[in-house]
Amino acid sequence: MSTTRRGFIKGGVGATLAAPIACRSTLPTEVVATPTAPALVPSERVTIRTRVNGHDHDLEVHPDDGALEIVRDHIGLKGAKHGCGHGACGACTMQLDGTPVATCILPATALHDRKVTTVEGLAKEGALHPVQRAFMAEDALQCGYCTPGFVVEAAAFVDRVRAEGEREPTRDEVAAALAGHLCRCGAYPAIYRAVQAACTGKYDAVEGADAPRVDALAKVTGAAIYTVDVDAPGMLIAKALHAPWAHAKVRRLDWSKALALPGVRGAVRLLGEGGIVRYAGQELLAIAAVDERTAERALDLVEIDVEIRDALVGMDAALAPSAPLVYPKRADRKSPPNASEGPLLPEKWDGNKRGPFELFSKAPGKAERAIDHARSGGTVTEGTWSTQTQCHTALEPHAAVAAWDGPTRLTVYLSTQAVSAMAGDIAQRWGLRDEDVRVLSLYVGGGFGAKATLQTEAVVAIELAKVCNAPVRYALDRRAEIMLGGNRPGTRITVALATDRAGDLVGITSDALADCGVAVGHISSVMFRIIYPDAPRKLMDTDVVSHGPPSKPMRGPGGPPAFWALEQAVDELAHQRKEDPLVLRKRWDPNPARKPLYAWAQTIPRWRDRGPVAADKGRYRRGVGVACGAWFAFAEPRTRLQLDVRAGRGADAKATSAAGLVASTASQDIGNGTRTVIARTVAARFGLSPSDVGVRVGDSRFVHGPMAGGSRTTSSIVGPCYDACDQMADELVEFASRRFGLRQAKPSTDGITHDGGTMAWRDVFSVAPDITVVGRRRRDEGGYFLPPILGLAVERYVSGSLQIAEVEVDTRLGRIRVVESWIGLGVGRIAAPVLARSQAEGGVVQGIGYALYEERRLDPKAGFLLTGGLEDYRVPGIGDIGPIHVHFDEHGYDKVPGHNVGLGEIVTLTPAAAIGNAVFHATSWRPRDLPLRPDRVLKGLRG
Amino acid sequence: MIVFPTSLQQAAGELPGGAVVRAGGTDVHERRRLKLLSGNLVDLRDVADARDIAARGGGEIGVGALVRIAALASDPGIVAGYPALAEAAGGLATPQIRAIATVAGNLLQRNRCWYYRSPEAHCLKKGGARCFAREGDHLYHACFDLGPCVAVHPSTLGMALSAYDARVDVVGGAGRTVAALLGDGTDARHDHQLENSAVVTHIVLPAPRAGERSAYVRTISRARAEWPLVEAVARLGVEKDAIVWASVAVGGVAPVPLRLGAVEAKLVGTAARPEALAEAAALAKDGAKPLPMTGYKVDLLERTVLEVLEKALERAPVGGV
Repeated sequence: MSTTRRGFIKGGVGATLAAPIACRSTLPTEVVATPTAPALVPSERVTIRTRVNGHDHDLEVHPDDGALEIVRDHIGLKGAKHGCGHGACGACTMQLDGTPVATCILPATALHDRKVTTVEGLAKEGALHPVQRAFMAEDALQCGYCTPGFVVEAAAFVDRVRAEGEREPTRDEVAAALAGHLCRCGAYPAIYRAVQAACTGKYDAVEGADAPRVDALAKVTGAAIYTVDVDAPGMLIAKALHAPWAHAKVRRLDWSKALALPGVRGAVRLLGEGGIVRYAGQELLAIAAVDERTAERALDLVEIDVEIRDALVGMDAALAPSAPLVYPKRADRKSPPNASEGPLLPEKWDGNKRGPFELFSKAPGKAERAIDHARSGGTVTEGTWSTQTQCHTALEPHAAVAAWDGPTRLTVYLSTQAVSAMAGDIAQRWGLRDEDVRVLSLYVGGGFGAKATLQTEAVVAIELAKVCNAPVRYALDRRAEIMLGGNRPGTRITVALATDRAGDLVGITSDALADCGVAVGHISSVMFRIIYPDAPRKLMDTDVVSHGPPSKPMRGPGGPPAFWALEQAVDELAHQRKEDPLVLRKRWDPNPARKPLYAWAQTIPRWRDRGPVAADKGRYRRGVGVACGAWFAFAEPRTRLQLDVRAGRGADAKATSAAGLVASTASQDIGNGTRTVIARTVAARFGLSPSDVGVRVGDSRFVHGPMAGGSRTTSSIVGPCYDACDQMADELVEFASRRFGLRQAKPSTDGITHDGGTMAWRDVFSVAPDITVVGRRRRDEGGYFLPPILGLAVERYVSGSLQIAEVEVDTRLGRIRVVESWIGLGVGRIAAPVLARSQAEGGVVQGIGYALYEERRLDPKAGFLLTGGLEDYRVPGIGDIGPIHVHFDEHGYDKVPGHNVGLGEIVTLTPAAAIGNAVFHATSWRPRDLPLRPDRVLKGLRG
Repeated sequence: MIVFPTSLQQAAGELPGGAVVRAGGTDVHERRRLKLLSGNLVDLRDVADARDIAARGGGEIGVGALVRIAALASDPGIVAGYPALAEAAGGLATPQIRAIATVAGNLLQRNRCWYYRSPEAHCLKKGGARCFAREGDHLYHACFDLGPCVAVHPSTLGMALSAYDARVDVVGGAGRTVAALLGDGTDARHDHQLENSAVVTHIVLPAPRAGERSAYVRTISRARAEWPLVEAVARLGVEKDAIVWASVAVGGVAPVPLRLGAVEAKLVGTAARPEALAEAAALAKDGAKPLPMTGYKVDLLERTVLEVLEKALERAPVGGV
C-alpha cells in the first residue's frame, strides 16, 4: 500500500483537524451577510398569483423554490418532468404567456402574474392539440418521459408556423425549435415526422388519428404516472450523502445532529461494515425528512471521520505494476458488483485484473497458428481499438416510493425493468411472503439495462419507510444518475484477423480489457463467437477493477465496443485485399438471418455507387461504411399472460376495450412497447382492433411477466398471448355451443364458425360470462441452446443486422455529421411494425451518440465525476441524426412461438462501427478511439 | 430573504451588505441549488425599466439589461445593424433558456467549469487554494493560460459585444467597456469585475460602421445547444476589394473573451478574398499558451477564425449610419 493520507473532509489532503466537522460545510458561498438598512422590507416567503391552464392559484413560495417544483408539488400537475435540473434536456418545459421556457432553472417567483400552460392544458375544449395527435399517430415517443416537454415546445412552434400559413417546415427549422430537448430513447425521426405533418394541418381533424402505441394518449397528455410522480399521504423525501472520495476508510459516520433537526424522520446507513469507500459517489447514508430542503440541510449536519486514500482512477492506473489492490482480501473478490446480466463465473485474479475469460474460444491454438501462417501468404489485420465509458442516463432517474402496511406487507413503486423479479428479490431480502410484496411500475422513463436489478433506490426507500413508519420517496438527481445510475465500461480491444490467399477467414484473436470500475463480469470478445463462426478463434475478456463507479449491463452489453473493433478490422482487411467489404462479409457469413440483408444493402444506391476511398478532396468529405452485427436470442420461458373476459359489457368496441377483454402480466413497458405487442397480438386473434383490448402491466400481482432485458420481452410474451387466446377461444366456443346450441362450432379468426354460419367474436364477447385463462409460453421446437438459468433460456438462434452509415467529415472544424443511416434487421416476424421501427431508429440514435459525443469523465486523480449533467455528458439532440431507414426481413425463426427473436439490443450494436468505416471511406483515416471528438478527428486527419 | 425593487436604481440601493441580484435567474437559481451562492436576493422581476432596445444619440443603441436574449436575437434593429451579435445571441444555450435569460445576466453569469460546478472541488473560484482543472482534466479549458484559473469565460454575448466595442451603463458604479467589465482573465476569484453594490442597466452599442460585414461562428461537436469549444465574431470593413479595418473577438479559449489584435492588424490591407485570409488567421495563435490537453484548441482557434473571416466576407454589408 502506498502512504495513506489522514484527515477530515474539510482539511482535504494532509490536513489534520481536531474534530469531525459537518460534511458539506466546506461548500463555499460567495456572500453571506445581511443587508444594512434596506429600503424595502425583505420577506422570507413570497405570495404569487399565477394562472395555470386557465385556473388562478395563489401560492406562498420560498424565494429559492423552483417553478417546476411548485407546479408539480403544490399545484399537483405532474406532466412536466424533472430531467436534468439545469435546462439542458427540456423535460420541464412549460409555456409562459405562450413561450416555452425551461422551468427547472426558473424561480417560482417568476410565475407571478403570468399565464402558464403545461402539457395538461394543451388540449382545448376536450380536443387535443394537433401536435399531440401527431405525436400519437407518428409514434413520436417511446418511454414518454421527455414527451410532455417536447409536445409543449412543439405546440408553440406549430402554432407559430401555422399562424403564417400551412407549410411543411424543413428538418433544420424543426431541429432549431426543438434544440433544447433531449430524448434518450431516440424518438427523433418520428418527432420530425410528427412536427412537420402537424404544421401542414394533417392532424387537425379530431377523429381518425389512431395511435399505433396503445399508451400514447397517456404520454402526450401528461397523464402517464412515473415513479417520480407518485405521491402518498404523509410521504417523506429521502436524500443520500455521497462520498466525495474515490477511496477512503470512514471511521465514524455520525448523523445524530442531523436526526435532531426538526422535520427529519430517520436515517439509514448504506456504507458497508468495513467503512471502505471504493468510488466517488458511493452512498454513505440516506436521510428522510418532510421535504427535500430539510433532508438536504440534515445531510450537512452529518459528521464524518475519514481516512482518505490514494485512488486508482481508470484502467491504466489500475494496471500499473505498483498499483495497490482494489480488492486486497480474498473475501472482497468473491462478491464485487456484477457488470453482467448473468451469474458471475469464478475467474482467476491477477492484481487488479480478473480473467481472462476464454470459455467461448474455439480451437484457440489453431487460431494463433493460422494468423502466424497468414503473415507469409495470406492477409492479416491487427489493431487496437478503444471505447469510452458510456452512461445509460435514462431521463427518468432511478426512483422508488415505498410504503409499509404493518410490519409484513409492503408496496413499492419502482422505476424498474423487472417488475416480477423485483417483487421476488424484495420478498427474499426483507424476509416477506411473496404475496405480501407488491411492486408497481406503471410507466418507466427508460432503463437501457440500468434498472434491471434491486438497487440502492429501493433499499433506501424501503428501509427508511420502515424506520419512519411512513411512505418514503427516493430519486437520484441527474448528477447521481450519471455517477451511479449505470455505465457501459470503457474498453481496449486488440484484434487480429487473418485470411488465406483465397480470402477465407482462418483465424481471429481478440484480447479485451474492460474498465468496469469496482464491478466485474464484462464481456466483449465473446461477441466474436456469434459472427463469422466458422474459423478458429481465441477470445479473451479481462476485467480491470479500479476506484470507479460500477458498470452495469447496458443495451447490448459488450456489443458496441466489440463490433467497433471487429467490424473495422474486417473493413481494414477487405481494404487490404482490395475487396468489396460487403462481398467479403457475405462470403464468411453462414447466418440465415443476415443473408437476405446483403441483397437489400445492394439496393441502396448510396452504398452501391459509393466510389473509392477518400474520393472527396475538399473541406467536406463524404463517405459510407457498412458494419454487421449479431445478437443472442433469449426468452423467459416462465412468462404468463392472463386473459379475462368480464361479463355484463355491451357489444360495442369501446366498452370491450374498457374492461371486456383484458390482458395482464407482471411485465413492464419501458418504452419498448410491451402493452402494444400484447394488445396487437390478442386483438389480431379475435379480429379486434388493438384499442379493443385492455392491457395491464407494471404490477407484480399479475401473472409472471418477463423483465425488459436481453431483448426478451416480445419473444417471451407473444407465445403466452397465443396460448391464452387459444384457451379463451376454446372456452368461448364451449360457452356459445352450450348457450346457443351451435353445432360443429370451432374457432376461426372472424369468430365461431358453426354449421349455421359464423358468430363474430365481438358478439360472443358481448354475452360471454366471466372467463379467465392463463397462457404459457410453449418451448421452442427442438428445445433451447441452453435451458433456463435464472429463468432465462438461450435460444438456438443468432439474430442478424447490417448497418450502413453515410458521414460528412468537416476537415476544417473536425466535426463528423451522420448524414443518413440504414439498418437492416433479421429478427423474424415483427409484432408491432411502427413501434419496431421506432425502437430501431432509437438504437441507431444511441449508437450515434456513442460514436460521436457521449463520454463520462472522472477527475484523473481524485476520481469524482466531472460530466455531472447533460451539458457535459453529451447525448445526441434532434439535429444530430440525419434520416434513418429501417428494413426488416421477417423470414425465419419458424420454431419459436411468435416466429421472432428480440430487437431491442441488436439495433444499437453497429452504428459506431459503420460510422468508423464511413470515416475511413471519406478520409482514409482509420479511427481507433471513441468518441470521435473534433480534437481527435483533426489529429487523425493530420496523420 | 428576498426583495422586489421596482427600478434598477432601487435595486442598487438594496445591494450593500452582500445581497445578490437575480434577473432571469437561470444561472443564479442553479447556483443557489448547488450551494455556490447564498445571501439575500434582490429579484428584478418587478423592475419596469431596462426592458427595451432603443436608439440613442449618435447612432448608438441602448439594450436594456433585462432584455431577454431571444428578444435581442430577433430584434430587427439588431439583426440589421449588428448581425453577428444577433447570430451569437441566437446560437447560445437553448430556445427555452434564451426566452428567460437576460442580456446582462449572460454577461455576469459564472463560468461552467466542471470543477467549479462539482461539489467535490473547492477551487479558486470558490475561495479555495488551487485550480483543480489545471492539475486535472481540462479538455475543455483555456489554451490562453492567463491566470491561475483556467476556466474559459462562459459569455457568448461578452465575446460578441467586445467585437462591437460595447459599453455598459451601471448604477452604483462607473460605466465601462464590456472588456473592462469582464477583466483581463487574471482574476482567480471572479468572472467579471462589477462591484457588489452595482447593477448594469444598459448595454450600449456604438453605431455600426458603414458597409461592415460580420459573422459569428460557434465551433461545437453537435449541431446545437452546446458550450463552444471555440467561438468567434469578425467584423470587416471592405473598400476597393481590400480590408480596411477589422475587429475579431474569440471565446472558449481563455478566462475572458479575447480581441485578437494581431489578426486585426494583419487583416488591414489584406485583399478581401477568402484565399487571402489564412495568414491573418494564423496569427490567432499569438500569445496562446495551451495546457497539456488544450493544444487542439490552438489549432481549432485558427481554423475557427479563418471560418468566421470567410463567412463575414460572404455577408452583405450592413447599412450603417
